[in-house]
Amino acid sequence: MQTKAAPGFFKRNPPIEGEAEAIERAKNGDAEAFSFLYGLHKRRVYTLTLRMLGNVSEAEDMTQEAFLHLFRKIGSFRGESAFSTWLHRLTVNLVLMHLRKKGLQLVSLEETINPSEDDAPKRDFGARDPSLAGSVDRVTLERAVASLPPGYRMVFLLHDVEGFEHNEIATMLECSTGNSKSQLHKARLKLRELLRQPENLVALEAMKEAKR
Amino acid sequence: MKDLSTANFDTMTTDEFQEYLPELFAEGGGNVSKDPRFAKFLENNPVCAELVHDLETIAETAKSLFEPTHEPSDDLWNKIAGKLHEPEEEN
Repeated sequence: MQTKAAPGFFKRNPPIEGEAEAIERAKNGDAEAFSFLYGLHKRRVYTLTLRMLGNVSEAEDMTQEAFLHLFRKIGSFRGESAFSTWLHRLTVNLVLMHLRKKGLQLVSLEETINPSEDDAPKRDFGARDPSLAGSVDRVTLERAVASLPPGYRMVFLLHDVEGFEHNEIATMLECSTGNSKSQLHKARLKLRELLRQPENLVALEAMKEAKR
Repeated sequence: MKDLSTANFDTMTTDEFQEYLPELFAEGGGNVSKDPRFAKFLENNPVCAELVHDLETIAETAKSLFEPTHEPSDDLWNKIAGKLHEPEEEN
């Protein structure tokens, strides 16, 4: 039996036809229902892990982990949030755990999240630079986000793309709410720099490619 | 983070405004340009108005990234299905 979700939960995650029934069947171990849920959510989960990790192989591994974890934990889903929100939170926590195991486990992300001076956005408002001319195209923004330092990228993805609140991000990243707000602002400033001067974005992408 | 309760938006400098911005965006749900408290300040400081407009545009466009753009490989489901009934690995 699912708990009734609060109004607003489904704003960005409208109910999907057949999903609720599949969730109930999957809770009873129905593999076919689980396969249906995988089909509904694989692209979102994979896109999320790829954006967080920036690596196709790791992203596939974490997508696999997320769905295996989902299979084991789906019985604890009570419908208090949209299923996709719950699945995304589960995925984010697995990716963060993976990143901590890779080297961030001894220090809180709050300390390691701050990029070097070179990566930080300039304090100058940059009045002489060209403006964004009213709009930003989605593909260019996606490229710019991929070029952000990891700490900025993480907070930007969680807040502006995934729609998590600062207090939720603070819990996930083990940092303060103020830090989450500050990192988000710096991420947007850095994106603004990259979008106003596309040649810097191309140079960053070339540097990233050369490191591979 | 700057405390908004002590802010005077009619007399602040552009540097002070920028220090308040992270909190302003968080508090106002990203609609700083529509907040009447800053209308006069932004009118008098077009560089700040442009900054706010650009940051709002970036945040608004980011919502479109919620729709997925990447697809995992076709054999990923087979890998997952093969492991569904294996015991959970110890961390």
